[in-house]
Amino acid sequence: MRKYMSIAGISIKNALAYRANVTGRVIFYFVFIFIFFSLWSAIYKGNEIAGYNLTQMVWYICMTELVVFCSGSSIFGSMNHEVKSGSIAYQLIRPWNYIFKKFAETLGNITFSASIFTLMAIILGMLFVGPIKNFDPIAIPFIIVSFILSISMNFFILMSLGLLAFYFEENSPFYFIYSKLLFVFGMLLPIEFLPLWAQGILRFLPFSLITWAPAKMVVNFSFEHALAVLPLQAVWCVAAVILALFVFSRGIRKVNVHGG
Amino acid sequence: MAAIVLDKLSKTYKVKVREEGLKSALKSLVKPTYKEVEAVQSVSFTVEAGEMLAFIGPNGAGKSTTIKMLTGILHPTSGSANVLDYNPVKDRRKLSYQIGAVFGQKSQLSFHLPPVDSFRLLSNVYEIEKSEYEERLTQLAELLELGEFMNTPVRKLSLGQRVRCEFAASLLHAPKILFLDEPTIGLDVVVKHSIRELITKLNREENATVFLTSHDAGDVENLCRRAIVIDHGKVALDMSVKKMKYDYLNKKVISLKLKDTAAIPEMDGVTPIKVTPYAAKFSVDTKIAAIGRVLAALDSENIEDITIEEPPMEEIIASIYKGNRKGGEKT
Amino acid sequence: MEVKKHLKLIAKYFAFNLSALTEYRTSFLVQVFGMALNNASFAFFWWVLFDKIGTGIGGYGFQDVMFLWAVASTGFGIASVLFSNTRRISGMIMTGELDTYLLQPKNPLINSMAARMSASAWGDFLYGFILMVLIKATLGMWLMFGVGIFTAALLMTAITIVGHSLTFYFGNMEVVGGTLWEFTITFSIYPESIFKGPVKALIMTAIPIGFITHIPLRLAHNFNWGTFLLLLGVTAAYCLLAFALYMGGLKRYESGNLIITRM
Repeated sequence: MRKYMSIAGISIKNALAYRANVTGRVIFYFVFIFIFFSLWSAIYKGNEIAGYNLTQMVWYICMTELVVFCSGSSIFGSMNHEVKSGSIAYQLIRPWNYIFKKFAETLGNITFSASIFTLMAIILGMLFVGPIKNFDPIAIPFIIVSFILSISMNFFILMSLGLLAFYFEENSPFYFIYSKLLFVFGMLLPIEFLPLWAQGILRFLPFSLITWAPAKMVVNFSFEHALAVLPLQAVWCVAAVILALFVFSRGIRKVNVHGG
Repeated sequence: MAAIVLDKLSKTYKVKVREEGLKSALKSLVKPTYKEVEAVQSVSFTVEAGEMLAFIGPNGAGKSTTIKMLTGILHPTSGSANVLDYNPVKDRRKLSYQIGAVFGQKSQLSFHLPPVDSFRLLSNVYEIEKSEYEERLTQLAELLELGEFMNTPVRKLSLGQRVRCEFAASLLHAPKILFLDEPTIGLDVVVKHSIRELITKLNREENATVFLTSHDAGDVENLCRRAIVIDHGKVALDMSVKKMKYDYLNKKVISLKLKDTAAIPEMDGVTPIKVTPYAAKFSVDTKIAAIGRVLAALDSENIEDITIEEPPMEEIIASIYKGNRKGGEKT
Repeated sequence: MEVKKHLKLIAKYFAFNLSALTEYRTSFLVQVFGMALNNASFAFFWWVLFDKIGTGIGGYGFQDVMFLWAVASTGFGIASVLFSNTRRISGMIMTGELDTYLLQPKNPLINSMAARMSASAWGDFLYGFILMVLIKATLGMWLMFGVGIFTAALLMTAITIVGHSLTFYFGNMEVVGGTLWEFTITFSIYPESIFKGPVKALIMTAIPIGFITHIPLRLAHNFNWGTFLLLLGVTAAYCLLAFALYMGGLKRYESGNLIITRM
């Protein structure tokens, strides 16, 4: 455990080194929120749509974007690179060690991003629409857990997709398709905007569990919601880890058989 | 006829100076201090058409800065350069039709396509007429021994084939001056040798002036008749390679195979290198001890075999660099 | 004359780059379709949104927003197919890659930009056309699409060049160039009226992103020669600005006044 913590420490230092990169992402985050704030302001006339009012919608997008920006999505590219360059063959062969080593390495980056973007999210939310009405502090622990599960889930799924480089020459489409599915199934719009039958299915798929689940907890907390999503998030989180382990161990075996 | 003339060519950079620490970081934002770096200081020399010149010097000596000024990529601070009767700064584009370059690490060819495709693209960049281009390509194919592999994607070619295609690419427009920067870097001995032969052939057949920059002493030794050593922005040495080899270090290394143990002659200017029961190796400073005298001092009955060598080119060049570091100027 | 020579050069690069990309057929096709699918997900978003709210947004209907997307997408496609290196301008300056182009007898901006082609950009290029067909675009829309995709491509390229050219003057401005490149799309694919005040002013003047998609849409609905000529004029003017800024910066580069490390 201590080994992983020290790796995380180093990665925080590394993350700080990428200051220039952060500027770009911060700008992009700000612009994204600004655009959606402009859009929702043009649409809403003091009413509610699909059970959300303007304030909630803006905070919603702040939160879903927060998850996406903090998930250490560079893991896809770095997995891709490590597989293609063959350097992965020199890593620890044991899947557990490798998967969690990568997570620990990215943890610094994730923590760093999370601090910055959480701050940004709150500032922008306050700035654009002011506080959420009737926000109950009791929601906070649930929110934190939900975010942690979301970010982890997203991370391990992206890692698995990156590791598909073992099997596919060109695996960037996987990243694109996955991130677009995230976009449309919960990031841009709460799933309540979609027809009921679609909502029914989506509640069980990882996409909206990554974005909509924690975001809704912030803008419209209810124990029913927490009870409905948290267990599913946990299940998918575990599933994502298993997926990553699976893809890695199969892939590395393939490499060893064929000599890389 | 002079191809390249440099007259007191100089380049001074202004570099921001900044010390460690937060205070000076802030200070440099508000009131930056600059340091002047004289990368090239009043360099003058002339290169005749058809010459093959080695332009060498340690890293940071001002080599690439000088070349950039000769090709028009950089403007000199003072002095002038005249390349093929053009001012590189004013007539860079016109000059570029007449010069070619091969950079050891950079490629002009698309990795994915056959070299011919890249050749055709370049023929457009240099506006070579179709008929002229085809004639030229045939000529180069013969000269550089490019076979059918011209039509094979570059990624499938051997290194030797690739390098020959790089040369072809830079020669399509029949440049009068060829700037070669580390052309044999990373190549194995056999390929190095064939590329050197190639460059010599090119110089002869095309009468192209070759301006070679290389850290490989073998390149210098085998290709160029003249070498200019530049260090700290100044010309440290400008002489024929032959003279450099034979006269510069005034040193010869004698290796003897002996029938019986023998002592190395104790003379001024003779320095032992290695002595074993049946062999002896020593160097002779020919400024102090004439070779003839040293040989006479040996017991010829005892000698089974003798080898007399000049110091390797590396050593010569290294000592030139080192010598300059000590501040002295040797001629 | 020079312009004709450079147009010919762009055409030659086009054929050359396309051959290189299609050497790897599967990869190429995958990238093209991937990008088209990528863009389609946004269409889905808008369709859901319009369906739910039941009204227009600032005078825009679903078809209108899709028109914005079509012009932006195909315009972006043209820009990235022909001049994919535009977004690498800062990098080329910083690493000295620019020198290779300075050694050749062609304008370094055009030469360096045209040297690369993006495979996925073909997906963007095609997507616009597909979208126009699917939304049953009106004649007015088709006509403005025909012109708009070119003005869009030119504006996107020019705005990005302006951003990256700052590297000549201030050191590594990769972030500025990259951000402007993204902005040309981000601000083009939402209804015009959601932008107000200083932002609206900015994208209609100093950084004419508003002319990329919004003006063409206005013209598609209500054509008038004045606005049309303004569109062409702004495009031409900004291209000239970008060119001048770059060439001016290039002079600084050649004077060696850049405080950067080069090989």
